[in-house]
Amino acid sequence: MKKSIPFEVFRYAMIALALVVALIPIAWMASMAFKPVGEWSATGADLTWWPKHPTLFNFNFIFGQSDTSLIVALEKTAAKPILASLLSSIFGTLIAISAGTAAAYGLSRFGAGKNLPLALIQLRIFPPMAVMIPVMIMWAFLRLNDTWFGLALVYGIVTLPFAFWLMKTFFDDMPREIEEAALVEGCSRWRVFTRITLPMMRAPLASAALFVFIMNWSDYLIALLLTSREWVTIPVYMASLSSSMTGQLYGAKAALGLIAAIPPLVLGIAIQKHLVRGLTFGALKQ
Amino acid sequence: MAEIAFRNVSKRYGKTLALDDVSFTVKDNAFFCLFGPPLSGKTTILRILLGLETPDSGEVLIDGQSVNRLGPGERNIAMVFQNLALFPHMSAKENVIFPLVERNMAQKDIEERLNDVSKKLHITHILHKPPSQLSGGERQRVAIARALVRDPVACLMDDPISALDARLRESTRVELKRIQRELGRTLIYVTHDQEEAMSVADTMAILVDGQIKQIGTPDEIYRKPANIAVARLLGSPAINLLVPNNDHQTVSFAEGSLLLPVKTLPNDAKTIGIRPEDLKVAHWDSKQKGKPASVFQTEPLGGTTVLTLEAGDVRLKALLRGQPDFKPHMLVALSCDPARAHYFDSSGKVLQ
Repeated sequence: MKKSIPFEVFRYAMIALALVVALIPIAWMASMAFKPVGEWSATGADLTWWPKHPTLFNFNFIFGQSDTSLIVALEKTAAKPILASLLSSIFGTLIAISAGTAAAYGLSRFGAGKNLPLALIQLRIFPPMAVMIPVMIMWAFLRLNDTWFGLALVYGIVTLPFAFWLMKTFFDDMPREIEEAALVEGCSRWRVFTRITLPMMRAPLASAALFVFIMNWSDYLIALLLTSREWVTIPVYMASLSSSMTGQLYGAKAALGLIAAIPPLVLGIAIQKHLVRGLTFGALKQ
Repeated sequence: MAEIAFRNVSKRYGKTLALDDVSFTVKDNAFFCLFGPPLSGKTTILRILLGLETPDSGEVLIDGQSVNRLGPGERNIAMVFQNLALFPHMSAKENVIFPLVERNMAQKDIEERLNDVSKKLHITHILHKPPSQLSGGERQRVAIARALVRDPVACLMDDPISALDARLRESTRVELKRIQRELGRTLIYVTHDQEEAMSVADTMAILVDGQIKQIGTPDEIYRKPANIAVARLLGSPAINLLVPNNDHQTVSFAEGSLLLPVKTLPNDAKTIGIRPEDLKVAHWDSKQKGKPASVFQTEPLGGTTVLTLEAGDVRLKALLRGQPDFKPHMLVALSCDPARAHYFDSSGKVLQ
């Protein structure tokens, strides 16, 4: 198809516009992370895109260093919340992906659990609040409140439907003859799954995992309700970064936000190749 | 090396009867072709033979032994699937040696067999490539190599060349014949393309609506179809089916008749079948008895010409050699050698 030059110009202009809208807040956060306290709430001519006096103070501050420019001491540093977020998100993702994949495969190949898709959707029908209150009570009985594995378990359950539905579509799209060919060539059912199906599903698994991980990583509500002191996650901790004397600690929040953006970004880049394939998987039938 | 037999096999999917009391025997080393329209049950037969489906009743025998209870991996039958089903995450070589690796064969023997089969199928130069980088014909050969590498008792092929373009199909057909001869293996081949079926098969079975309608050599089936369904399936253009008059000498149309100069038209013949190439077309001479048909359309195909003839509300096809001098609306006389016509009774069975 031949494209006209004005159309191409228009196309790129629209792409640029969309990018600007999406990237301005991130750029602002990045800039804020390096601003000293005095520039946090600057207005008028003092409001600049580039920090006038770039500093790493914000990063040092959230990891425990105090400074005379800010007469606030943090109750706790960002280290533990980062650990809490990493542990709960990673293990929550593992739970959702492994259980979701197994369930999707069983349903797609053997018709096991025909009511499962609907049942799983029901998990998402109720407002999270309505579900979380009973969960809080149950978790309290099980002594899972304020633990990273208690949180990981809830993350795994909540994101399971997404993992299930994503993987089910991919399993449904996979030609059944490929597995049958392996059966005929002497594989057991389990060998077929590990030798043929899983390797073919690498791309879908990677994209599902990234998707689920981002959902877990950015959760606020569940972590707010299930953790209190020991294992608060990054979003909950970030909300607490304010003081009665100085109000919101913008710079500290921006610095933490910048750090919080790293894992999904790294993960996304690491599986970029698979991601594109995962999203176009259905089109690549031979 | 094996003789394969189906004994009264039936299979039902929900309410549809996919296979209805199917019995046949494939001799050792035969090139056996299952031919039938789409959804006639051809693939079901292969899947039951492989063990991917269980028959509702009946028995599958390999060398006289029932294999009903054996799983797909235990029957030593190989299959080339319609979509070839190559493993996309493995190279051509890994695909081909997959059955050997799964059977824990020694590395040395694997290499030997790989060399042997790749030479025969001319794929040595493409073994390092993944399936996505192979052409249709190359994928085809890799799939066949994977099926043959482990010395199966029989190899099944489910319409494997339907995805190729016309020219490639023709050469692949010849190639398949050669491979089957060289390897001396029982080959069961499924197709819905009659030309393909007739050109490759030693023996063919005609399958319609889950029933085997006739088994024989392609030539036998074409020349002596057992019933109307079979007669209709084979031949291009399709056979002309006509209803004879009570005088048992003519076939009537609304405004005319085709004279069959025969005294021995069987009494209970309800339908007469005449292949397009057996229908004789001549210029009309007004002194002739009966009434003429007219030319409706001519399709010159180079070596042959297809005439569509109109006689009242009946349309007939005639296949003539060369490019004869007939134009639309011309009046023509039709006749036929009675020995070459097929007579069917009211149930559609052929009359001898």
